[in-house]
Amino acid sequence: MAEEKKGRAVATKTAASIPKFVRGNLAATLKAKEEGKKVAYAYIADGQDEIMRAMDIVPAWGESFAGVCAAKRDAEKYLQKAESDNFSRSLCTYATCTIGFDMVREELGGGAVPDAPWGGMGRPDMILGSAQLLCDPRFKWPQATQHYLRDVPVFVGSMYYPPFDPKMDHHEQEKFYVKYARDELRECVKFCEKHTGKKMDWDRLAQIVELSDKTWDLFIDTYELRKAFPTPMDTGDAMNTMVPLTFNLGTQEAYDFYKQLYDELQDKIKNGIGVADPEKYRLIWAAGLPSWFALGDFQYFNSKGAVFPVEVTYRGCEKIERLELPKTDDPLEHIAWRWVRYWTHWYDKARKRPGSLPKVERIIEYIEEYKCDGVVFHSAFSCRSWHAGIIHQAETLKKVYKEIPILILEGDIVDISSYNEADTHNRIDAFIEAVDAYKNRMN
Amino acid sequence: MAELGVEKGLAKAEKYYNDYGSRVKELKTEGKKIIGYISALGPVEVLTAAGVVPFRLKGNVEEAITKGDAYMETIVCPFVRNVFDASIKGKFSFLDGMVLPHQCDSLDRTSDVWRDYLNLPYFHFFNVPHVTDDPSIEFMKELFRLLIKTLEDYTGNKITTDSLKKAISFHNENRRLMRDLYELRKSNPPLISGSEMMKVLVAVMGLPVNESSELIKEVIEEVKVRKPAGPTQNKRIMLIGDQIDSVIITDSIEGAGAYLVMDDISIGSKMYYQDVDEDKEPLLALAERYLRKLKIPTTFVDTGGTYEDNLNARFGHMRKYIDEFKVNGAILFVYKYCDPYGFEVPAIKSYIESAGVPVLYLEDEYSTSSLARMKTRIEAFLEMIA
Ligand code: SF4
Ligand code: SF4
Repeated sequence: MAEEKKGRAVATKTAASIPKFVRGNLAATLKAKEEGKKVAYAYIADGQDEIMRAMDIVPAWGESFAGVCAAKRDAEKYLQKAESDNFSRSLCTYATCTIGFDMVREELGGGAVPDAPWGGMGRPDMILGSAQLLCDPRFKWPQATQHYLRDVPVFVGSMYYPPFDPKMDHHEQEKFYVKYARDELRECVKFCEKHTGKKMDWDRLAQIVELSDKTWDLFIDTYELRKAFPTPMDTGDAMNTMVPLTFNLGTQEAYDFYKQLYDELQDKIKNGIGVADPEKYRLIWAAGLPSWFALGDFQYFNSKGAVFPVEVTYRGCEKIERLELPKTDDPLEHIAWRWVRYWTHWYDKARKRPGSLPKVERIIEYIEEYKCDGVVFHSAFSCRSWHAGIIHQAETLKKVYKEIPILILEGDIVDISSYNEADTHNRIDAFIEAVDAYKNRMN
Repeated sequence: MAELGVEKGLAKAEKYYNDYGSRVKELKTEGKKIIGYISALGPVEVLTAAGVVPFRLKGNVEEAITKGDAYMETIVCPFVRNVFDASIKGKFSFLDGMVLPHQCDSLDRTSDVWRDYLNLPYFHFFNVPHVTDDPSIEFMKELFRLLIKTLEDYTGNKITTDSLKKAISFHNENRRLMRDLYELRKSNPPLISGSEMMKVLVAVMGLPVNESSELIKEVIEEVKVRKPAGPTQNKRIMLIGDQIDSVIITDSIEGAGAYLVMDDISIGSKMYYQDVDEDKEPLLALAERYLRKLKIPTTFVDTGGTYEDNLNARFGHMRKYIDEFKVNGAILFVYKYCDPYGFEVPAIKSYIESAGVPVLYLEDEYSTSSLARMKTRIEAFLEMIA
């Protein structure tokens, strides 16, 4: 999430503008009070972005703030603060870092926190969570936060998708899942109306939803330019360029950002400028949130001639036409379909390859399309959501696809005590050797 | 030792506790289908109505994980890893299928692992939501419909409204009986020890509902005629947590000179203190029980009122237990890597402490490896509240 102590060089100019984006988002939460706007604690991939934007609610993203603390290697004080009130160190560190920050801010009276990275976040007027298949902290974190911000109302909605079952056709189920997701989004609107004192402007919402669709499309078009040889941008940058999609969906700035990135990547392709020179190995970042305090490791890969033209992490959208969304005039129903199909649209493919999984199918698709020679996962100990099941994905990939080299790195997103740079680099070295041998065998 | 099948009451419970799963093995040879479940969200009424035997999977704190880690990350809660390890080693080879509920990330994110490696003829991920509002109830009814359909397809037996109602009434009866047994812990000293209770709680989760009810009745008959014996000044403890299923824990508490008189654990009172409303349409009644009545940290509760109101809605039952069972201290036992419980430790702790009852919070593995340390902490806690 941008600026970290060891300064990872960003390959694209556009990505270099991300710190400004992130700072802007944080500053907006602090400025909101003066502007008479409401601030909501929000959590990514909850499907509520457009509702907030349409109601002029300023989102305060704990995940982003915790990522900034981690990147600046300044999270420990908040983790310890949370730990002092019995939050286990094994819990999601985005959550515990942010809760620790909340505890500190409350002790200081609820205003700005002087030594908080990039000024910290403003005190929220409401908390908008969403229980779903994404993770437990999605609903436990808002609830735990209210323990310290007792006057702040909490809403937790739902955004589920049918689980994958190789023996079951999910299409029938999708209907009641979408109905449920839409009903929950309505509940969210009602909650926001109550706590902002404003009515939803449905036309405005519809326009914002349309803009999000366009942004999803443009994001994918842009990222698909990375198929080029040499790739003009790798995952190291993508961990930055995900910011507008993830935290600013439904805003013109997000759309404009990807337009700029698109143009820059096209330029690079035209001029044959890649991330590594020469580009020797192409890898996929197949799962896992990164260690925000060690983004420099991507550069370490690059220094070995290895690049990541594609990653699963934070590719939180798809080309709308590929989702084959049923037509609807209800923007909330459209959001619901978009998210449900985002998860389920790999299911049919997975069912066709016996023993496969949607997550593995997605990796195979990217390996093929981006011509990758190796697979890297990162297992962050404090987040079960993305990181439990990685061993199974890796084994399944080998079983149903091919014996491609796989590296599973271990660490955390925020907690630096889990990380050892020398060990990590040694493992990367050994992996690169394996990829090299694999490439030679294949040729 | 009594002959097999002749024991009654506590002796029978002890036998089933020590040889967990022995009864379903017998039933299997009689042609019954055995379907496993793993938490308080196991939809036992529907399984019973389907004519299969619901069997709750458990781990063994004394057994080290030797195979499971090759399939499942160590960041998964240690209970889930232990049960999976036992399963992959063939401990539950009599299972015909499994219903895995969406309880927490540790279960949800490993559901593919369970399905693909156990490779049972029947497997269903029961995608219970975490929210309890009206749309969630409707959604939950749909999930029950889907579960019923998969079970009908698998067993070939139709689940009718009547069979569902009958199963509900069997399970309500079972819960009522268990509550009657809990009542016998209210006296000072309690008529049944925490470790005896643990054996009963474990034994019954490996039995079909009617055999479970029979066993509970026998235990009640046996225990209620006891004369309260033992010192009356021992501290009365409530145990709070999720998947605690071993007498090693209860022995550590009672061995240190306390009475374990109540629990709020997943195989204990959480399973037995809320019935399914028999006056309502069965799917609605089931949805309401599992989503709204069950007090587990994986359902989000918000009253729309104050934070205090929310706490009362989430934990008020524990304050009731404290009053009714005259609890002097609580032990909150949470597994490492458990987000649902882990995130509510400060809230539970302060809520109970504000009722004047001290709380010992222990974070641990599902293993006896740290037993000595845990015992020392329990002893120190009991000394402190003495
Ligand atoms: S997905 Fe993982 S890192 Fe993100 S909030 Fe959930 S548990 Fe935390
Ligand atoms: S102890 Fe926690 S993580 Fe483990 S099964 Fe129970 S709720 Fe899930």
